Amino acid sequence: MEIIQGILIIALAFWMVLDQQGFVITTWYPAIIGMIAGIIMGDVTTAMIIAGTFQLMALGVANIGGSSVPNYGLATLVGVYVALRTTHDIENAKAIALAVGVPVGMLGIQLDVLGKLLNSYVSHAAQKALNQGKFKKMERIFWIGPLIFGMTTALPTALCVLFGDRLVRLILDFVPKWFTDGLSIAGSMLPVVGIALLLQFMPVKKYLTMLIIGFVISAYLKLPILGIALLGFAFAYYYFTQNMKKTPAVAGVGDTGDAGEGDDFDE
Amino acid sequence: MNSVEKNDVVTKKDIRKASIRYMFMACNTFNYENQQAPAVVYGLSKVLRKIHKKDEDYKASLNNHFNYFNTTTWMANLLLGASIAMEEKDGIKSKNAVQAFKTGMMGPLAGVGDTLVWVLYPTIMGSISGYMALQGNPTGAIIWLLLNVIFFFFRMKLFDMGHSSGLKLITALGDRLNIFTESASIMGLTVVGALIPSVVKMNIPIEFKTGKVTLPIQTEILDKIMPALLPAVLTYVVYKLIASKKLSITQIIFLVIGLALVCSFFGILGV
Repeated sequence: MEIIQGILIIALAFWMVLDQQGFVITTWYPAIIGMIAGIIMGDVTTAMIIAGTFQLMALGVANIGGSSVPNYGLATLVGVYVALRTTHDIENAKAIALAVGVPVGMLGIQLDVLGKLLNSYVSHAAQKALNQGKFKKMERIFWIGPLIFGMTTALPTALCVLFGDRLVRLILDFVPKWFTDGLSIAGSMLPVVGIALLLQFMPVKKYLTMLIIGFVISAYLKLPILGIALLGFAFAYYYFTQNMKKTPAVAGVGDTGDAGEGDDFDE
Repeated sequence: MNSVEKNDVVTKKDIRKASIRYMFMACNTFNYENQQAPAVVYGLSKVLRKIHKKDEDYKASLNNHFNYFNTTTWMANLLLGASIAMEEKDGIKSKNAVQAFKTGMMGPLAGVGDTLVWVLYPTIMGSISGYMALQGNPTGAIIWLLLNVIFFFFRMKLFDMGHSSGLKLITALGDRLNIFTESASIMGLTVVGALIPSVVKMNIPIEFKTGKVTLPIQTEILDKIMPALLPAVLTYVVYKLIASKKLSITQIIFLVIGLALVCSFFGILGV
C-alpha cells in the first residue's frame, strides 16, 4: 500500500507540471493538488488544511512571461506526503508540511530554470530534424520537452518519498516544542506574503474601497468568504454592465490606462 | 461555422486535433530562446502538413512558426486558429502576414490574458478554495477543478472561433475584455480584503498583571482597537517590503518564518 501511494504521488508530481503548462485542468495549484494527494494518502481533511496554507501563500504568484516561481504545488505535494506518513495530528502535520514543503518548493525555481534552459536544445534539435526533412523524428523530439519538465518535479518528489519521512522523524525527535510551534505560527502568518504580492499586481489604489469593504465585512461581520465573493461579484457586475453600455460609442478611450497596469505583470 | 466551406482539405476534426495538440504542449517545451514556438510547431504540424503538400513549403511554414512566440496560452488558441485560416487561404505566400499577425497580437492578448487567466482567476478561486481548505473542506477545490474542465472546452471553442472569424473577432474582443478585466479586479480585491482577517492569524498570548487584575493584550486591547489589527499591519508591512524591491520574495518568506520562530521562542506569539 505504501509503495503504491508513493508511486501515485510521484506520478502526480510528474503530471502536475505538464498539466499546469498545458491543459490546465488539475493544475499545480495547492488546493487541487492537495485534494488529490489527500485522496491518495487517505486523509483528505488534513491534506486540505496543509493545502490551504500553501494555496494562500501562492495567491500572488503567477508564472507569466516565462518567469520562474516557487512551486507551491510541489511544496503541497511533498508536504502532504511526508506529513501524513509521519503523523495525523493536524498541528504537527502543518508544521512538518511547512518545514519540508517550503524548501522543496523553492528548489522548484532552480529546477524550472534548468528545464527551460535544457529545452533550448530540444527546440534546436527539432528544427534541425525539420530542415533535414525528418518530420517523424521532429515529432518525437518534441516529446523530450514534457519529459524534462515532468522530471523537474518528479525527481525531488521521489527523493522526498524515499527519504522524507525518515528524515523528518529523526529531526522531530530532537526539535524543541517552541520550534514546531513557531513553524505552525509561521504557517498562519505566511498567507500574508501571497496576499501582499497579489496586491502589487492589482489596481489597489484605484479600488481601495473594495479592499476595505471586503476587510470590514470579514473582520467585523464575520461573513463567510463565499458570501463576500458574491458581494464582490455584485459590484463587478454593476461595473461591467454600466461600462458595457457606455463603450460602443467610445470604445477603447476610457481603457487606455489598463494597458499600463497589464505591463506590470511581465516583471 | 463556414470553416469547412472555406477549404475542403482542413476539416473541423483537424482543427480540434490541432487545438488539443497545442493545448497539451503549450509551455511544455518552453525555453528562453523562442519560448512557446516549439509548442506552436508541434500543435500545428499535422494540420499544416495537410495545407502545404510540398515539402519545401511545409518546411518554410514550420520554420516560420519556430520564431519567437509567447502569449497567454489560452489566448494563443485564437491566434493560432486564425493563423491556420490565413495559411489555408493564401498558402506559403501568407508566411510574412502570419508572422506579423502573431507578433502584433501576442503582446496585447498577453496583457489581458495573463491578468485574467494567471492572476484574477487563480486569485478568486484560490482565495475561496484556500479558505475552505483551511477548514479541511475540499468543496472549493472541486468547484475549481470543474471550472477548469469547462474552460478546457471553451478554449477548444476559441481555437475554432479564431479559425472561422480570425482577425475581426480578436480586435472586437479587445475593448470588452478590458472592461471584463476591470470588473474581475473589483471582485478580486473584495475577496482579498476579506482574506486578510480570515486567513492571516496572529495571537499574542501575553497578559498584563496588576494586582488581581489581568489584562490579556490580544482580547482586551488589540481586538478592542480593531479586529484583525495585527494581520492588517503585517499585510501593510509586507506589501511595502515587496514594493521596495530590496528583498526577494524568498527572503521575505524566510523572514516571516524567522520572525515566527523568534516570537514563538520568547512567547510573544502563540499558536
